[in-house]
Amino acid sequence: MVVIETVLDATWEHIILVYTTLFVSIVVSIPLAFASLYSKKLEFVVMKFANMVQAVPSFAVVAIMVPFLGIGFTPAVVAIMLRALLPIIKNTYIGLSNVDPALIDYAEGIGLSQWQINRHIRLPNAYPAMFAGIKFAGILANSIAVLTAFIGSGGLGEIIFQGLIGYNTRTLLAGAIPAIMLAILIDLSFTMLEKKVTPGYMKK
Amino acid sequence: MQTERLFDRIDSIQFKGVTKKYGSGFAVKDLDLEIEGGELLILIGPSGSGKTTTLRIMNRMIEQDFGSVTINGIDTREVDPVRLRRNMGYVIQNIGLFPHMTIGENIGLVPKLEGWDKKKTEGRVRELLDFVSLPPDMFMNRYPRQLSGGQQQRVGLARAMAMDPPLFLMDEPFGALDPILRKQLQKEFLKIKNEINRTIVFVTHDIEEALILGDRIAIMDQAKLVQMGPPEELIFNPANDLVADIVDTKRKFKHMDTLNVKDLMSPFEQKYVFEGKMNACDAVEEMANRDIETAFVFDGDELLGQVTMMDLMKCRMKSQNLADVARPVRTFQPLDSVAVALSELKKNGEYLAIVMNSKHPIGILISDEVLLKLI
Repeated sequence: MVVIETVLDATWEHIILVYTTLFVSIVVSIPLAFASLYSKKLEFVVMKFANMVQAVPSFAVVAIMVPFLGIGFTPAVVAIMLRALLPIIKNTYIGLSNVDPALIDYAEGIGLSQWQINRHIRLPNAYPAMFAGIKFAGILANSIAVLTAFIGSGGLGEIIFQGLIGYNTRTLLAGAIPAIMLAILIDLSFTMLEKKVTPGYMKK
Repeated sequence: MQTERLFDRIDSIQFKGVTKKYGSGFAVKDLDLEIEGGELLILIGPSGSGKTTTLRIMNRMIEQDFGSVTINGIDTREVDPVRLRRNMGYVIQNIGLFPHMTIGENIGLVPKLEGWDKKKTEGRVRELLDFVSLPPDMFMNRYPRQLSGGQQQRVGLARAMAMDPPLFLMDEPFGALDPILRKQLQKEFLKIKNEINRTIVFVTHDIEEALILGDRIAIMDQAKLVQMGPPEELIFNPANDLVADIVDTKRKFKHMDTLNVKDLMSPFEQKYVFEGKMNACDAVEEMANRDIETAFVFDGDELLGQVTMMDLMKCRMKSQNLADVARPVRTFQPLDSVAVALSELKKNGEYLAIVMNSKHPIGILISDEVLLKLI
């Protein structure tokens, strides 16, 4: 039998875990995507690495943390991040590099610096692809955060595994249902943020 | 953030031995060129002749391999490129409006980056939109794709003028427009040019445009400057066959008397037809949709007159329809003499007439175009 407070605590832990990871992933990915625009070599390395990590089963990524980083919150964040990076980097890079070269040329011609071109021209044009990547990464992070309960991250995974081990359907659902709701919440929260920052002409 | 003014006006721009290699060939070879302050210099020539390269060397979008370009004695390579470019207005063929920014944001981008406050930027944007005949309240908050080609090109011009630069670089700015619209924008551009009195370097491949707009024309071929001078000089004293070819000297003795209106008119198209009953405000939108700036108003078969986008925008009437605002337009028969038609247009200060075959419009006669077809 699970107490409601336990579920609430676990949900809160889960939210912290997922959003922390997403935040770190975004902070790491976006500069890497920008840097990849300027260096083909870096682009190659980054994309290869991200693709490679993506090919490893989630569970293995979680498990492999233990010998290196031990157990707890931080190894969990790193494990989830490794999986969440690819969709964000890849989509952001595609969004940034797909801007019409004539526009970039023109922006240079009227005297914009590289920084200003990135800030005012490339970034806004990349928003749709970028947010699609972040939303996908969010959902991925949410599901892997269930697995990281095994390495002591806490969160809803703990309740789900309890339910599984004890053949207790009620406990299982008490963990699974909030996890599903969280997935929806993540998608909605980023859709709202996207609407806020996307320029008007793309909204229709 | 503020960029210091490099120069308030242009005294002269000098190219000395400018060379740009391109693979194994030359984009520009040993170019000497002097551009005088206040003139509109046309760079014209076949594609690959080096005209765009020459233009882009001026704002350092392309760096020359040898030689120097000095503006008022300042070597462009000694100036930070961003600063250099902020002192020049740049207009290109594909206009380059940023699709994710409104018209207001497009025009106000560089002022904003220069640290102007919101109010000052908005004031400048309004002033410029007014200047290019686009009512600010109607256009400021639209996105580029909601504008017709002609309107976008005007915005491009307004944006180049935002910082009031002493020098404009224009790379086939009217190249993508249909011929009649191009004529109209050239006409307006001439007016603007006289008003702002700036130095302009203008690349085109259209000799008519060059002859209409240019104070001097520089003809380029195979990376070299072939001849430079005022239009008359090129027409009457072409340096070689290529120049004669470009300015079409051989045809300039065509006899105007033997030609009639039918030979020199532009074909009439259905897109120019508007119903007299149409509301004037709706007509503005519709003209933008059809990408035209002049329309002919009909009531069934009967021609009521002409309206231009500028007429409609100036009066901003709510309840009038086109029949109320149409101005009379001169009509000619296909077999009328061109000479007579032209002198009649000229006498009345008009530049455009409609050619009717009994009751049907079949062509449009544009005076500049006729003259240019003759020379």
